[in-house]
Amino acid sequence: MSGMNRKQLVSAAAVLLLVPTLSWGAGFALFEHGNKAMAMGGAFTAVANDPSAVYWNPAGLAFQNDKGVQLMAGATFIMAGQDFTGESPYPGAGYTASQKDQTFFPPHAYIVYPINDTLTFGFGTLTPFGLGTWWEENFAGRFISKRVDLKLYDFTPTLAIKVSDQVAVSVGIDYAVGQIDLTKGIGLINPYTQRLADVGQVHMFTDGMGNTAFGWNASIFAKLGSGFTAGVVYRSQIDMDLSGDGSFTQYPTGYADYDAAVGAIIPFGQKTPLKTKIKFPDFLSVGLAWQNAAWTVSGQVGFMGWSSFQDLPINFPQHPELSTTVEEGYKDTTQYRLGVEYRVNPTWSLRGGLLYDETPQPRESMSPLLGDGNRTGYSVGLGWTHGNMWVDVGDLYLVFDKRSTGGMSFDGYEGSYDTSANLFGVTFGVKF
Amino acid sequence: MKRALFICTLAALLVGLSAGAQSADFTRYVALGDSLTAGFSSGGLVQTFQQGSYPALLAHQAGTPDFEQPLVSEPGIPVLLSLQALLPNPVIMAPDVAPGQPINAEYPAPYNNLGVPGATLYDLLYTTGDIMNLLAGNQDNVMHDLILRDGEHTALQQAIGLQPTFVTMWIGNNDILGAAVYGTPVEGVTMTPVADFQQMYQTALGALATNTSADIVVITLPDVAAIPFVTTVKPYITLPDGSHVPLIGSNGPLPEDAYVTLNAAGLLAQGYGLPPGIPGANGMPLPEDIQIVGGVPIPGVVLRPDEVAIIRDRTAAFNNIIRDTAAALGAKVFDINDLFSSIVQGDFGVLGGITLNADFLTGGIFSYDGVHPQAIGYGLIAMSLIDFVNQSYGTSIPQVNMFQILCPGGDCAGPADSQAVHAVFSQQAAQQLQQVFAPRLPPAPTARRATGTHRAVRSDHLLKVQKGAHRVQ
Repeated sequence: MSGMNRKQLVSAAAVLLLVPTLSWGAGFALFEHGNKAMAMGGAFTAVANDPSAVYWNPAGLAFQNDKGVQLMAGATFIMAGQDFTGESPYPGAGYTASQKDQTFFPPHAYIVYPINDTLTFGFGTLTPFGLGTWWEENFAGRFISKRVDLKLYDFTPTLAIKVSDQVAVSVGIDYAVGQIDLTKGIGLINPYTQRLADVGQVHMFTDGMGNTAFGWNASIFAKLGSGFTAGVVYRSQIDMDLSGDGSFTQYPTGYADYDAAVGAIIPFGQKTPLKTKIKFPDFLSVGLAWQNAAWTVSGQVGFMGWSSFQDLPINFPQHPELSTTVEEGYKDTTQYRLGVEYRVNPTWSLRGGLLYDETPQPRESMSPLLGDGNRTGYSVGLGWTHGNMWVDVGDLYLVFDKRSTGGMSFDGYEGSYDTSANLFGVTFGVKF
Repeated sequence: MKRALFICTLAALLVGLSAGAQSADFTRYVALGDSLTAGFSSGGLVQTFQQGSYPALLAHQAGTPDFEQPLVSEPGIPVLLSLQALLPNPVIMAPDVAPGQPINAEYPAPYNNLGVPGATLYDLLYTTGDIMNLLAGNQDNVMHDLILRDGEHTALQQAIGLQPTFVTMWIGNNDILGAAVYGTPVEGVTMTPVADFQQMYQTALGALATNTSADIVVITLPDVAAIPFVTTVKPYITLPDGSHVPLIGSNGPLPEDAYVTLNAAGLLAQGYGLPPGIPGANGMPLPEDIQIVGGVPIPGVVLRPDEVAIIRDRTAAFNNIIRDTAAALGAKVFDINDLFSSIVQGDFGVLGGITLNADFLTGGIFSYDGVHPQAIGYGLIAMSLIDFVNQSYGTSIPQVNMFQILCPGGDCAGPADSQAVHAVFSQQAAQQLQQVFAPRLPPAPTARRATGTHRAVRSDHLLKVQKGAHRVQ
């Protein structure tokens, strides 16, 4: 393939990323950056033998340079469902609400370019964080969140260095672009009815690709002999300041002077600047794998520094009285991943995996914005190779522990969240 | 020897068991108290709010069968205040219509909710009411006539007569509230002397503890100087440049930490108390202290910091009496101030993302009279009380559904066709409130019909109750 074609492919990947994509992940982290890795339960840090190593262990790229230039791209379609069952006092026992059906498709695309025997350059575009919740119309939690889309795109160039025939290291940069889009209702007490009234809604959104921040990553990959390999990857915390706009819409209540009074304190019908800050957690993954001609077995433990996510400030500099801070109080978490691959023949491979991923979210901050729980995942997949091309197909079924706020909700919105998600993806690869 | 030891052990075990297996029986629940117990809201008593009174909510959640209340049909007795307009200034008044009627005046037993609006601790012990008097059109003892009905038995006697399994008693608010509503703490007139309160509280709770086998929860008194009736109107005028010019009271300019009651709203609209140079000023000060004109009490509308301190000290003294008496008689004390101070300090928190606070009109908790809660406020009291009961008795009474109270039927949109009729707390609203909380004027109350003199009633009517009553001195 010529340089021109490569460029076209990269632009195609960039276009893909511009399509609204978001998703539903651990806390709101996403680990689905290649369908071989996903099918193996994400236990890929000590395997790292395809271009998705750019995420799971870039040092592994150093041992792929015999494959030449590689291009790989794909997407994972996430179909998530969540049902909420209320508890008293608010919104009350027996109350139920569901999220609208949504499908998310965070894409991924990679280039791996061997510079010489020692150095390998890799570049990836992926979505390491994403969140999308959208509740049915008029549900009782609408004053907390009606709909949210949050995503972090990562454009990451990395350099893998083969230190010896057994050991490689890497360093890389994460150029992150963040987007957040949040809609919630505004509820106030209507003094005429002495009841809660829907007086409007606020739509808060950040500018297109304008909010950026840098992070870095480094990794080690080692061949230990007797078919054993080990890997360690660290991806840094990314602190991002985001700016955008808040747009307020008024709903008439039927009481003209009350509407006028509310209109005097909320800037309805106009956009006002918005600022927020999100600290995306760091990630350390340590893995050990064994393989022979037919089998690969891989295990890994990951640590996410979710305690970085203590709050979500929503500041309107021109209207400080409308600014709020959503308390989150996340805690650091550990995840466990196990994967296996059986190469039936040079063309076909079968894969499977298991994972357990702790939620970083305390009960107190479970809300319509995100009601998370510990999750167990079961994955299967298929790999097909033909000459210079390959296709990986994977499916991951995530079961979330049904979890209740236990009367401790910061928002005073008590109940339990019952969630499941199915992730199906296809990744295409070609080497030259 | 061995056998004695065995019996001792068994006895110890049984004691341990009975102490561990706490519970409460809500089969016959009786609530004693005043307007806050009755579900009084926006200056009147009406079915819609009575059904959301904290005793009614507790009874419903605890599964009490047939919790009877003295229900009143729309538009209430007295006719409820309503918000006539919000801008440019809120106008609150009662529509000029006929009041509501008792709905179940023939109920052949005492009501379970014996909360009597306006009742003091004295009334709980000594005042009776006769429904025939009310139905004959006499307005001299409306609330006692409506609720106690038989012309013979006091609220306390009726409560004992029901042989309740569970009792809540929230009495004493009106032994101090008058000082706030009338802008003046006056010993024996707008607030009850401490010694009298102590003696009467011990008598009342002693009678309940001795003559019933009920589990008893008593409720402390909130800080009446923190209600919107007291805190809404500022003691100054804010000029366009943000500076403050103090309002003028009959004792001079008001300091920034003085309170001006809602009763002043109508006077301010007429120009009273406005500093010279402010448009509309009529040169007359706001009356600061209660005056008796022709036997009728005219309220003062200002609470200066020393008066607030007197009110708070007196409330604290009453609360100590409530706690000590309850401890001596085995009643449990629900301290309403945990909830109340979180509300007035604005850190109550949120329900479903909705902020509730003690602000007048917009805070969601208090009604149009600025003194009493409305449905949401009563819901919060019930919520807090249910938490307390569950913790104290090991019960698991389900919590009230606040979503249904904030948003009846789940619809918060509000009926668009119930537009307000046409466009300050009107004089009429102020008078309505004052009548309910009329101070005890020497020599005899004018707005309340007691069954005799203080001393006479004590020796007659409570003889039965006091016989063998547990004296705590």
